[in-house]
Amino acid sequence: MRHAGLVSKLVLLLAAAALVAVLPRFMGEFRLSQFTFVAIYFIALLGLNILTGYNGQISLGHGAFMGIGAYVSALLSLGEPGLELFALDPPGWLPLGDGMRPVFTIPLAGLVTGLIGFAFGFPALRLAGVSLALATFAVAVSLPSIAKRFDEVTGGGGGLSLNLPVTPFGLDVSTRHWLYYEAWGTAGILLLVAWLLVRGRVGRAWRAIRDGQIAAVSSGVSPAAYKTLAFGVSAFYAGVAGALLAIEVSFVNPDTFPVSLSILLFASVVVGGLGSLVGVIFGALLIQFLPIYAQDPPLLPFDFSKQAPSVVFGVFLIVIMIALPGGVAGLLHRLVRAAANRLPTRHNTSERLAVSPPGGKAQ
Amino acid sequence: MAEFLQQVVSGLAVGAIYASLALALVLIYRATDVLNFAQGEMATFTTYVAWTLMNHGLSYWPAFALTLAIAFAGGVGVERVLIRPVERRPEVVIVIVTIGLLIALNGLTGWIWGADVKAFDSPFPNDTFEVGGVTISTQDVGTFGVCLATVLLLWAFFRFTTLGLAMRAVANNQNASRLVGVRVGWMLALGWGLAAVLGAVAGMMAAPTVFLDPSMMLVILIYAFAAAVLGGIDSPVGAVVGGLALGVIINLLGAYVDFVGSELRLPTALAVLLLVLLIRPSGLFGHVVVRRV
Amino acid sequence: MKRGLIVLAALLIVAVASLQSALATTEKKAAPTETGITSTRISLGGTFPLSGPASLYAPIPRGMEAYFKYINARKAKADGKRGVYGRQIAWKYYDDEYNPAKTVQFTNQLLLQDKVYALVGSLGTEHNQAIRPLMNQRKVPHILVSTGASYWGLQYKDFPWTSGWQPDYIAEGRTYGEWIKKNAPRAKIAVFLQNDDYGKDYLRGLKIGLGRLRTLIVSEQSYEVTDAGYGSQLTRQKASGADTWVLLTTPTPTVRALATAKALNWKPDTIVINSVAATDGVMRAATASAGAEFVNGAVSSAYLKNPNLPKYSNDRSVKLYRSIMQRYGPSGADANNTFFYYGVAKAYDTVRLLYLAGKNPTRASLMRATQKMNWVNPFALKGVKVKTGSRDRFPISQIKLIRYNNGTWNEFGGLIKGR
Repeated sequence: MRHAGLVSKLVLLLAAAALVAVLPRFMGEFRLSQFTFVAIYFIALLGLNILTGYNGQISLGHGAFMGIGAYVSALLSLGEPGLELFALDPPGWLPLGDGMRPVFTIPLAGLVTGLIGFAFGFPALRLAGVSLALATFAVAVSLPSIAKRFDEVTGGGGGLSLNLPVTPFGLDVSTRHWLYYEAWGTAGILLLVAWLLVRGRVGRAWRAIRDGQIAAVSSGVSPAAYKTLAFGVSAFYAGVAGALLAIEVSFVNPDTFPVSLSILLFASVVVGGLGSLVGVIFGALLIQFLPIYAQDPPLLPFDFSKQAPSVVFGVFLIVIMIALPGGVAGLLHRLVRAAANRLPTRHNTSERLAVSPPGGKAQ
Repeated sequence: MAEFLQQVVSGLAVGAIYASLALALVLIYRATDVLNFAQGEMATFTTYVAWTLMNHGLSYWPAFALTLAIAFAGGVGVERVLIRPVERRPEVVIVIVTIGLLIALNGLTGWIWGADVKAFDSPFPNDTFEVGGVTISTQDVGTFGVCLATVLLLWAFFRFTTLGLAMRAVANNQNASRLVGVRVGWMLALGWGLAAVLGAVAGMMAAPTVFLDPSMMLVILIYAFAAAVLGGIDSPVGAVVGGLALGVIINLLGAYVDFVGSELRLPTALAVLLLVLLIRPSGLFGHVVVRRV
Repeated sequence: MKRGLIVLAALLIVAVASLQSALATTEKKAAPTETGITSTRISLGGTFPLSGPASLYAPIPRGMEAYFKYINARKAKADGKRGVYGRQIAWKYYDDEYNPAKTVQFTNQLLLQDKVYALVGSLGTEHNQAIRPLMNQRKVPHILVSTGASYWGLQYKDFPWTSGWQPDYIAEGRTYGEWIKKNAPRAKIAVFLQNDDYGKDYLRGLKIGLGRLRTLIVSEQSYEVTDAGYGSQLTRQKASGADTWVLLTTPTPTVRALATAKALNWKPDTIVINSVAATDGVMRAATASAGAEFVNGAVSSAYLKNPNLPKYSNDRSVKLYRSIMQRYGPSGADANNTFFYYGVAKAYDTVRLLYLAGKNPTRASLMRATQKMNWVNPFALKGVKVKTGSRDRFPISQIKLIRYNNGTWNEFGGLIKGR
């Protein structure tokens, strides 16, 4: 009966893809750009969920990984300046010189960030819980400072101004539309990759380590390999998201990736639902729309929020965590299971739409 | 030489501020196993309350005492209303609640009192004195002294009082404590209340030098967090040692290592911290957790 | 389970409400003749840090709002109509939390969703740099930005749709340099700056003003916004033996620096504080902590009247300012906060520009108007002219030095040309 679950998931995925493809028809330019940002956060949260949800390693530094991806992409788009400093001779077939076409910078940015994340994963093996939280938090705090210190490369506080995006390859599509499909197309591909990883051997190893590292070791799973892999993969995702952000905004500076972004990413992945790929979309919608909503909430009667959108935001986080500790995905899972239990099936056990972590503490 | 000593003294002074907030973090962690991200904002909020009281005519010590009482009530309130519902949930959920509290309190503070900087009274006279070419301010000596006194009081509390014993028991094993007759719920609330009091003290010690503004504790929280983990997240002595060490290291790095420059002071100190953690993952004075399968 | 359903229901209601308000199209009373202009309305927009660490500038858009409301309500002397030529000013501003990525997003919202005519007064150097390319690409006026960076005035050829307003930091720094050169040519200068374009621009100006005497600078120390204390840096500044201290810092760090210097028992003979940080609030806090003797004699500069000075208590513009704040300002606003005053002064120039753009304004006519500014802003110091030309894109460039004494900033000397 596993096939039933697979088919229903595939159907859902196709429906979602169709929705995303068709949405631009109903939206103005501005909404399109907002939903492009949703795709960007979706990718970053996918990565973070792999690390924290499926593998149980806390990261309060994913904003910094996004920043690294953004800077790499920006430097590549602008051309030589950054690479020259490292006395690197770019190979002839890399379309540099005038700057790489932005769309090609995305995988490169992801790769560089992924490697850095992977490297970070090694010392992270020795740390757990609070110490790991602090270590990743330290990365988030340090990135703006490092970017300012090496200002010959990064443009320091003034940042890097990129050329405004244009539709490449002579396609007859408006730039806004191109950016939207570029972001969602990338998101779709990366979602598929994540899904394959998670449901395969790698994912099982990750979950085994999350649920009981010692037991996993005695089953022959090597924590070192899988934990560093998790860091690398999640950093890759964050790097890709950062590159897309740089392209979308056409500007990168230390202030665009502050510590609060890392905290926000972490909060959103929990609100969406740890260990659930479906929940990630809610987290992404939260990051994009809650700050806007908080500045002008349609239901609050007084002018209060104009002065303190943070209060609305913070209260919302608290309320949602109290009401839905499993995140939005947890709620959906319960709803689906409740519905499925009422349907007559042979086994009367529903296929899970989401994997929820057990009640134990994340490592 | 005098300049070097001056740097060390300044480092100790600012380190005492980190240590004070770190103590509050450690207390909550030790009593309830929760890393309270909102500790700094709670401290800022209570310091503003103290400022308001003093502005309305109360002199320093009565305002101080009243603020501690309010802080205690606030801490207990937060535990009962916000933390109790998610107590049994995974750690991450509780952490998000504290993050939400941090964000909300920060906004609330800015909304109620506005964003311009305010001066805050100090119980210590605004004097300086020279010792061997090094200028020391009484304010800094006072802060340092209060910090040491607090850690001593805490130690005595946990070691010699029944209440302290009960709190330790609850932190160690909730179910066993319940069986022995300890009121677990109230112990947890007490932990939060006491931590809030410590936070208020930290805020009122810091405010005369750092000055009161809504983001006052945001930056200090980073250092306090680092100090607490460096010293061992469940060790009050470690928090103080960690805070002082961090303050001195950052000052010396900034003054004597040119590569570090202005921007890399904090990252370098954090890197040093992480190095220590790699060698001793539980921190300098922390207890190594033995996990059995 | 039930609780979950209730939450889901609540979420759905909220989502629908938001969606409905978001997708609602604004009714246009008359066909727009230019984006953001109808026969009854002019739409203006801007982004500001309303929350977060830079939120102390939040009164600026509110001061602008109060002035626009005043203009909307009063009948103009020239034609008896309310607003500008009978059009009401609609002012919309968003909180970008001092994050340039959000500045870009909200600017897009103002342009694409709110369809504003022009962007006025957006705050932040990097933030305006981030949106400058797209504003110029779309040919939307990006005027009177709230930052003292010199780029706006210098780079008008590449970015013709962008303009500044206040005297820039380089000009101000230069003024201090020249003053020190003239009055204390043997001084030993210590400079304490914020480690970003703000501080560095000021420093650049200071060095230009000092000219050959820039060797007088014996100590240059900087701080980051993530620093909790400046003991380390100020210890070194004290050890340098400097007797003149120039503070190129934002408000809160300025108070901290002054208090730290006092705690280190370091009292330089001359203290220069940049104008952004020399607010009455800062000086009050510094006095409370370091003592009046320490801060008396500090020098800064100004181009606007200080509404808190007793000398201006009967000044017509200051009285107008206070009555506008009382009638149209946010309730409970502290009119003594000079950032409100800054907003009102800027809004005055905005309205003059709108008039200059003509009875049938277009975006192009507004930009032409920014090159023809030539008037006196009653909220500025006497003698300061708001003047631009095709090659002079710095609207306000005259400043006056001020000295602090027992709670007030007193002007001294004559008007200085910054540029």
